[in-house]
Amino acid sequence: MNIVSTYTWCQFAPAFALVGLAALLILADALLPKLPKRLYAGIAALGAFVAAFFMTTGEYANLFGFIATVATGLSILLAFDYTKVCCESIAGNGNEEGTGEFYALPLVACAGILCLTQARDLVMLFVSLEVVTLTSYVLAGYFRRNQGSIEAGIKYLVLGAMSTGILVYGIAWYFGMVGSFTLSAETVYSALNGGVAGSPALAFGFLLATAMLFAGAFFKIGAAPMHVWIPDVYQGAPTPTTAFLAVASKAAGFVVLCSLILPYAPFATPGSLLGRILVTSIAIVAAATLLIGNLGAMRQTNLKRLLGYSSIGQAGFILVFFLQLQVSLEQNVYDYLLAYALATISAFFAVAMVRTQRGSEEIAAFRGLGKTNPRTAFLITVSFASLAGVPLTLGFIVKLKTFVTAVSAIQNWDNFCWLLVIMVLTAATGFYYYFKVLRSMYWEKPQPGVPALRVPLCTAIVLTLSATALIILGTLPLLMRF
Amino acid sequence: MIPLAHYLILSGILFTIGLAGVLVRKNIIVVFMCLEMMLCASSVALVAFSRAQGTAGVPVYDAQVLSLFITGIAAAEVAIGLALIVAMFRARRTVESTALNSLKD
Repeated sequence: MNIVSTYTWCQFAPAFALVGLAALLILADALLPKLPKRLYAGIAALGAFVAAFFMTTGEYANLFGFIATVATGLSILLAFDYTKVCCESIAGNGNEEGTGEFYALPLVACAGILCLTQARDLVMLFVSLEVVTLTSYVLAGYFRRNQGSIEAGIKYLVLGAMSTGILVYGIAWYFGMVGSFTLSAETVYSALNGGVAGSPALAFGFLLATAMLFAGAFFKIGAAPMHVWIPDVYQGAPTPTTAFLAVASKAAGFVVLCSLILPYAPFATPGSLLGRILVTSIAIVAAATLLIGNLGAMRQTNLKRLLGYSSIGQAGFILVFFLQLQVSLEQNVYDYLLAYALATISAFFAVAMVRTQRGSEEIAAFRGLGKTNPRTAFLITVSFASLAGVPLTLGFIVKLKTFVTAVSAIQNWDNFCWLLVIMVLTAATGFYYYFKVLRSMYWEKPQPGVPALRVPLCTAIVLTLSATALIILGTLPLLMRF
Repeated sequence: MIPLAHYLILSGILFTIGLAGVLVRKNIIVVFMCLEMMLCASSVALVAFSRAQGTAGVPVYDAQVLSLFITGIAAAEVAIGLALIVAMFRARRTVESTALNSLKD
């Protein structure tokens, strides 16, 4: 099959629109230096939300694309509230020179994610994945007057390029064994049986290629052996970029994983040896990811680093869905990502607000918020409660779904009881470290002489909306039942 | 004519040297060259496979298209990477990866 005839131009219209908008904004930034940079942030965020609106239904309907565009829009809004720190860290002395691109580049990365959701072959998958990661490297290292940001950028670049190298080598071998870049159940079936000639060497080479492809996808979602970049990059990168990486880029990783793994779904039956190997290795990766993410988060004091470990842990829970390669896989992953995205984005808005006004990203900087800003403290509580999986929030419902999947996998495969034990333990540790923030807000006295936080407009709107959504979506299914 | 296996061995060697260099070397510019070597290894393998998969002397051009994309992406990566390395050198006066120690548990 020809690569070009697989796609229509129309499929990529939202991506083209976003890239066009980003190009216009960058041009305007260069040609009209007098315009206030916050205007660009406003336009870029608006553009992302309009694109997201088109992706809800109709011709451009796109589940993961919707999450990614909304998250991009929100992280640009976050940069809008964060301009003070942006100006300090980019140009120095409060000058906003050179900050314009920081608001436009996330749109390009988002366009990459939109192409990724449409990818049906490995060339499209690779190129659009690179559009996302290359833009993310720039964004992670954008605060050039901030040591942490440069360090995060370089670490992300080296580890990311290494995973790209492994992924591309896997793609080369995939092509060598199969003769095309198409991802379909038929190609996988034929290659696993040794192709036309039925040679075991070919099947072995194909398995090697598969392993390398999965390694590349695991890097993006931060699964166990490839998670090392996450804590450092999340801590060092500018907060709006961290929010983007934590939500939009993670959604992109799960898109890649879904499109790589679904062709293997017909083999993932308890009868076949290959199916057993595949599902057992996913279970091992999920278990290791859960343990590393949740145990690592326990001893963190820096909230951005804690959220980094938390995102590893949450990816571990999402990986559990991949034990049952069924039709509802994408919907389940989407639901979990939605709950995670709402809660994580508002957590990052809170981090940015505290950083701008109290100059610190430590959990201790949240102390006494319950006394000084009770309403904001409540909204932050809802998002952390949802991340931990407290009942009556959306986080509880989606976490329940992972447990249901794990139990049905146990029945189906007659194995994996240990995974269920690990899931229960790590969910319990989640309560410990997410509630560290709540303890700091409610149990510790406010520092004398430190004024109450002034909540910026965008932060107030986003925190309120996401807390409302988390509670309504979390209680509605219970009400429907009775 | 050189058989396919020789190209694959060459690309395997390139890939291994690249991966080992990324893991072992301390100078970030050298690490960077090793990363590029990993991408080159894939290009070599792709072009060799594109010949091998072809029929009657006509290669499958899809693979060569991908190897062009790889070259383009590698160039973009170098542009970003060198910019970051310059920024790092300005901030710390060194390009050793051991100097990257401000973010840790």
